[in-house]
Amino acid sequence: MQPLTLGKVAVRCGILAVILFVVVVIALKFGAVPVSLYGLGKDLIRVLIGRSSQISSEYGMIIREIRLPRIALGIFVGASLSVAGTSFQALLRNPLADPYVLGVSYGAAVGSILALVIEPHVALRPEIAAVFTPIGGFIGATFTIATVYLLGRYHGDIDSKTLLLSGVIVGSFFSAMILLLITMLPSSSTRGVVYWLMGDLSTPIPPILGWVLRVGFFAGFALIYLTASDLNLLLAGEKEAMHLGVDVKKVRLVVYLSASLLTGLAVSVSGSIGYVGLIVPHLMRMIFGTDYRMLLPAAAFGGAIAVVIADTMARTIAAPSELGVGAVTAMAGAPLFIYLLRRRLA
Amino acid sequence: MKIGRGPATVIGVFAAREEVVSQATLPAARSETLREKELRRKPYGISWGFFVFEGWRRVPRNTSQMTRAAVGLLLGVAFAFSAQVRAQSSPAPGLREVTDDTGRIVKLPQAVRRIVSLAPSSTETVYALGLQDRLVGDTDYCDYPADAAKKHKVGGAINPNMEEIAALKPDVVLVVKSLNRLETVRALEQLGISVYATDPHNVNDVLASMKKLSEVLGTEKPGNALDQKLEERLKIVREKLHGVPPKSVLFVVWTDPLQSVGKKTFIADVLDRAGATSVVESKQDWPQFSLEEAVRLQPEYLVFASSHSETVRNDVEALALKPGWSAMDAVKKRKIAVVSDAINRPGPRIVDAVEELARQLHPEVFAEKN
Repeated sequence: MQPLTLGKVAVRCGILAVILFVVVVIALKFGAVPVSLYGLGKDLIRVLIGRSSQISSEYGMIIREIRLPRIALGIFVGASLSVAGTSFQALLRNPLADPYVLGVSYGAAVGSILALVIEPHVALRPEIAAVFTPIGGFIGATFTIATVYLLGRYHGDIDSKTLLLSGVIVGSFFSAMILLLITMLPSSSTRGVVYWLMGDLSTPIPPILGWVLRVGFFAGFALIYLTASDLNLLLAGEKEAMHLGVDVKKVRLVVYLSASLLTGLAVSVSGSIGYVGLIVPHLMRMIFGTDYRMLLPAAAFGGAIAVVIADTMARTIAAPSELGVGAVTAMAGAPLFIYLLRRRLA
Repeated sequence: MKIGRGPATVIGVFAAREEVVSQATLPAARSETLREKELRRKPYGISWGFFVFEGWRRVPRNTSQMTRAAVGLLLGVAFAFSAQVRAQSSPAPGLREVTDDTGRIVKLPQAVRRIVSLAPSSTETVYALGLQDRLVGDTDYCDYPADAAKKHKVGGAINPNMEEIAALKPDVVLVVKSLNRLETVRALEQLGISVYATDPHNVNDVLASMKKLSEVLGTEKPGNALDQKLEERLKIVREKLHGVPPKSVLFVVWTDPLQSVGKKTFIADVLDRAGATSVVESKQDWPQFSLEEAVRLQPEYLVFASSHSETVRNDVEALALKPGWSAMDAVKKRKIAVVSDAINRPGPRIVDAVEELARQLHPEVFAEKN
């Protein structure tokens, strides 16, 4: 096996970036309102040379204000979920670990629903009101992460299996709570929740939230990437890694918190988009191997590509109506996962 | 209702899977890499041995260029899309400000020429006001009058397509608070599209809100005329039912599980005006109601909302065979009232619903005078 060099990582990432770029252009082309590839190319060049003000086409506003922000959101949500999934799988040494198995999605859902319920009762400045639900989601996610973390500790240390089980249990408790809330609350406050649970990228997020998402992603990714070689050693087992000089406790804490941050951010702006954090890391592992120094960036690109494709399908399949992007990822993800599983067993 | 993937399914599988994967995920030449790592390890963080050095040393210039290119590309992709140019349109002199039912201030051009309706009831109101030529888009569910179904569709009421709406360049988008989502309103606002929300809670509200909408859209006369006509019809029903004891009814929104309407909905008000009292006392809008309780309260009539009364009658025949339902006198005696689904829409046909229901529940009163 050839040793992994920085150059190799860069080249592969470059290829993935090109694929992502192509996917983005395709995603920009398709949508409810038809856009010609020629016009799109012309406008794209105008944007790249910094003359976006010259976009004069009929659909310029739609591309710039609706499709592009939505695709950007998809990129960061996809990359966050996929990187979080890869990290959880490494950390818990369990192939089924993904952001949602740890209950984060359900916790965030409860937080968002409560925010939806509280919102009409508190007078808020409009700029705060706009970010109220995502903040609720993020608090819910953080709360779940902390609960699962505390429950998952065993003799003062995180135990992978206990953590995973705690996540599953906390998640199912919260999903029961969601059902309870939907039944009990007036329909007007829970109407959006079902869409939220299906994963929804259609709602443009305020620019400030977009920046929080971006900065959060790069910070979380950087922290996880710093531990990439430790994660490689962790593959051999925790004890083995410790003998090889890995500060297992510290790595676990850093990776757990960073991956949770990524999940919380993604879930709070997009709802629950399942399977991305599960399938994409597995696919990337099959293509690029298990070296986390390569796998982590590959997963980021892969997740972004997967969500942008899924969202483009969600936008176009039933146009002008829209599907939840989570429904698309689950429809495609579940069979794919079974296929991967059977292949591995064969 | 099942939401998302049940985490419970995971428990059984992962224990069995672990062994398979820890083997499968091990890279073939890992032991070698581990040794390298062991020699180069620093306590924490990225050591210079993070990546293997060979390639670096051989072609240093090339690699760093590539790295720069890759990083540049990555950042380029990441940030090119984050640079959203937001053209904040300054309020043009021709704009006026109106307040909608929810207290929001909405900026509208002096003459509203392009309307998109995101609710069937708003669509019906626009037609009733004779402004259908200005309606450039409506939802998949806008099916009345028949012409409304031919308008350009922008998706559902809950999940309309932003692109379609934006492409229609509407002067105003009409929404109903009890139907559309707040997120939709915010998304439209963010795009600089004016959104006018109506929020009627009873029949009077519905009428007042239509009258006000007429003014807002710049045509006062048809609004006043419509309002007068509908008030007149309501008055006739009210006079006929004067002194007539109301019938107790169960308004069936859904049969399995049984779902009815709460006191605060405009449907409850329609029932009231049609000489009926709902047996359901709930503050929720669409409460799930216990069948036992329904049997205990023995409503005189079951009221269904459907545009196909035949289907309802067939459904009731099926219900009569079900335990619980069969114990209800109204089911046994087939005391069923079917109103058109206009009762679900806070629009002009709400008065039709009142009349229809009143006729079915109190045939004797209406027969006398005719």
